Amino acid sequence: MSLKNLLENWSRYRRGHEQGGYHDYEHMWAMVIDLDKCIGCNACSVACYAENNLAVVGEERFARNQAMHWMRIERYWDEPDLERAGKLEHGEYQQYGASFLPMNCQQCNAATCEPVCPVAATYHTPDGLNAQVYNRCIGSRYCSNNCPYRLRFFNFWSYYETSWPKPLDMQLNPDLTVRDKGVMEKCTFCVQRIRAAKDKAAREGRKVRDGEFQTACQQTCPTTAIVFGDLLDPESQVSRMWRYYEVELGKTEQHKRHPERRGYRIMEELNTDPCILFLERVREV
Amino acid sequence: MSTKINRRDFLKIMGWSGVGAALAGCDMPSYVTLEEGRETVTSYVHPEEFVIPGIGVRYASTCQQCPAGCGLHARVREGRVLKVEGNPSSPINRGKLCQMGQAGLQHHYNPDRLRRPLMRAGGRLQEITWEQAEKLLLQRLGPEASLKPGRVAWLTGTVSGHQAVLLDALLESLGSPEGHYVHEVVNDVVSQEVNRELLGDPLPRYDFGAARMILSFGADFLGASVSPVHFATEFGGRFRGVWNDPEAFRKGAFLPERERGVLVQAEPAMTLTGANADLWLAVRPGTEGVLALGIANALLVKHRRDASMLPEEVRRLVARYDLDTVSGITGVAGDLIVRTATWLHERTPSLVLAGGPATGQEHGFQAAAAAMLLNIILGNVGRTILPSGEFPFPQLTPRRGGTGDLLAFAEKASQGAVDVAVVSGTNPAYTAPAFVGFAEAFGKVPFKVVMTQFPDETAQLADLVLPLRSPYEDWGTHVAAYQAERAVIGMQQPVMTPLYEETRGFGDILLSLLKARAVEGYQGFADYYAYLRHAFATFAQEFGGEAVGEEAFWRRVLQEGQLRVPRRPGRLQAKAVPVRLPEPRADTEFPFHLVPAARLGLWDGRHANIPWLQEAPDQITKVVWGSWAELHPRTAQRLGVEEGDVIRITSPQGSIETRVYIHKGIHPEAVAVPMGQGHEAYGRYAQGRGVNPLKIVDAVREARTGELALFGTRVQITKVGRRERLVRMGGAETQHGRKLVATITADVYRRSEGGGEHVA
Repeated sequence: MSLKNLLENWSRYRRGHEQGGYHDYEHMWAMVIDLDKCIGCNACSVACYAENNLAVVGEERFARNQAMHWMRIERYWDEPDLERAGKLEHGEYQQYGASFLPMNCQQCNAATCEPVCPVAATYHTPDGLNAQVYNRCIGSRYCSNNCPYRLRFFNFWSYYETSWPKPLDMQLNPDLTVRDKGVMEKCTFCVQRIRAAKDKAAREGRKVRDGEFQTACQQTCPTTAIVFGDLLDPESQVSRMWRYYEVELGKTEQHKRHPERRGYRIMEELNTDPCILFLERVREV
Repeated sequence: MSTKINRRDFLKIMGWSGVGAALAGCDMPSYVTLEEGRETVTSYVHPEEFVIPGIGVRYASTCQQCPAGCGLHARVREGRVLKVEGNPSSPINRGKLCQMGQAGLQHHYNPDRLRRPLMRAGGRLQEITWEQAEKLLLQRLGPEASLKPGRVAWLTGTVSGHQAVLLDALLESLGSPEGHYVHEVVNDVVSQEVNRELLGDPLPRYDFGAARMILSFGADFLGASVSPVHFATEFGGRFRGVWNDPEAFRKGAFLPERERGVLVQAEPAMTLTGANADLWLAVRPGTEGVLALGIANALLVKHRRDASMLPEEVRRLVARYDLDTVSGITGVAGDLIVRTATWLHERTPSLVLAGGPATGQEHGFQAAAAAMLLNIILGNVGRTILPSGEFPFPQLTPRRGGTGDLLAFAEKASQGAVDVAVVSGTNPAYTAPAFVGFAEAFGKVPFKVVMTQFPDETAQLADLVLPLRSPYEDWGTHVAAYQAERAVIGMQQPVMTPLYEETRGFGDILLSLLKARAVEGYQGFADYYAYLRHAFATFAQEFGGEAVGEEAFWRRVLQEGQLRVPRRPGRLQAKAVPVRLPEPRADTEFPFHLVPAARLGLWDGRHANIPWLQEAPDQITKVVWGSWAELHPRTAQRLGVEEGDVIRITSPQGSIETRVYIHKGIHPEAVAVPMGQGHEAYGRYAQGRGVNPLKIVDAVREARTGELALFGTRVQITKVGRRERLVRMGGAETQHGRKLVATITADVYRRSEGGGEHVA
């Protein structure tokens, strides 16, 4: 293989997401998270624990990075943008507060976790979801190794033995499973709620309506920082927002006609083509 | 599932406790709402009319995880409550919940819940039956008990609604009408007093949508406050310029309708609110009032704001606080004081709040009064600070309190002036500072009853422990202290069969005592449910509208989860008073200030037995499952400690040892230790974990109200020489140059979407 070939192949691979996977997506579930609204209160994270049967692992295992928080609020102390703009005058204090970042699976359309799964346990659904088939998963952990966001969580233990002492187990959501040892898991965009809404719409012979259901994190967010919906429905709230903020799926470079408008995807330079659009935090300086 | 909860018997049992008649869903005018709509295939196995396997039903209720009174929708399937969501029609929380509300499920299903009454026998607590417990209770509080007037004391958390009515009637009948003590560690007693005196309204309504700026002196309105979820919806919505109205939002109205409000937070240690500030000011602890006067000075001198509404005395006082003096005392850089004053000048009307560390000092009243002075100068009273109005049923309004009541209770008990003490909805043996000597004082009470769901520290000291039903199993009505635009009475209804038969509801216990004492007017009610039905029959005439029967009215109220009640309009005054602020005193023996930090999470320790909240990282430090002490890097360097090093924090009342976390969101003279850990009892998830900073709080009282000055403790810090791993989420504290949380300046934002003139 010549160097030219190699580079061409690499270039084609790098832009692969522009062709898309399926060409007949039913839905393209996506989110917008407004970082100027997010106050970092953690309500979304606990709502996710309650909705999705997430195991509590305890202090020891948490220390070994085995926590199962599908939705977590990261907190950063620095302000690279304001620093660059020369807006940080009083370096001895946390002058502009803290920077909170809610991180759940970015549901990448060119997911780095998918091609490495030896058993196709993680794959792309016609809903645009990055799905995890628990029954197929053999626990190779290649996918989490390959996730640049570190948003895949491995069951190192049989948590059902310890996480829900009776009668805590009575709270478990019967709409989805409790995962066993050796299985990878992650945010599903509350696929059980998606399924219920799609089933209901099918029974009534109509399409799923925008806002008909919410993900658990979105539903509880006190500041309405999270918006969720279908990008294939041009009238949906997410579609309007993605359009307004001029971020498009399946594009290697975003050419914004209004570059001053907010809107970016985290580590989009990796060409993972994530389905979560973040809006910049704003600070009066 | 426990074998006791036979779902086939679900309704039978519900009927027995008087619930069956009132199973009300939320959306449809039928008994029950199907989450999935009409089913076209009907299963053979329909155990009961209201239980369809696989179909969730929602019941409206009111959250009891803190006293804010948020509306709930509880999802119930096959007789089990699985998830709680906010009730979208509640004006308080508008369909939203905080993490404590979400985690209420793990209080309900907690494996350490008490299942049977306990009685002290031979020095140990032993299980007894309810018959025995009731007999014991009646011996001491029944008609035959020879009670002297004023010798019964009832120590509770916040109580409101019809439970408060029953409690009042009961204490009256027991001859101790003054015997109700209300203890809440997270409280606004001092602010209430300031508001009452200067505005004529203890808790006015704040209009975040009208405020163009908020300056908060330590008031953690997004976190440990009187209504955190409500304020968060206001903050993320109307204050930031987006109304968040679901209908408008759906139609695409996601762009701001007005300019983005600016938040400036001044406090010694960063709170959740401070973490969201546009400008965060580290203030030397206890000098918040001085900072307020300094800003007032800049407004009057630099910006020539009209000061004619201020008495001459106040004007002279403000004139003394020039920029250099104030900067020197507070430690806040002069240019930041000027910037804050300029913003306030340009952004009228604004809202100035004070709370937490500003009011938790000996001169807390004075500091809050200084902050109020700014509201008066800026003309905020009547524009962003509105009268709360008069709640039409004063007997239902919340009985609120702070730690002052706990001190009064302990003093009375230690004098041997209490014959019977009942504690419910609070855990004073944990929250009382060591100087109170609570256990000793409580021990002098001959008969001590504790009503609780859990084997908490106070229960360990009791003679009789009565296990309560969980809030998801019990009836009640709740009136929030802070009411939004529309006032409501929140309804609490059982959403599932009680997990344990040998438990009772709080209202039921009160009612049975009232009946046993043959108090007039309570004899006819079989249980608390019947009493509530009767109470709402009178509401039906008043609020039911035309031709709505009692039954239909009751069902509607339960479905909505609340009863809207009109408030009579109120009025506010704006009184400026001269304030007296002390010079900060240097203390060579105890050079640091202790900040016992309350967080939206473990709160005052009541949620430490919830595994979800133990594993939920602290918002500021991201630490889980334990305690820590926050230090400024400069202080840490001076003490020669790094993250994870254990320090000993010593006050005149004792010492605690915990691990250090270092960040720049704290004043170098402060050390912040979160509340909530350090339980000696309270179940497997709470016990023996971390330290309780409340224990070393010093006996300093706020001068005007007598409330405990929670932030007035001076401490010394010594390095222990031991290291412990600080378990926290994530290894990175900085973004390492990656575009993770990108920030733009408000100038850029104003030029684009934030201009307030865009339509999507």
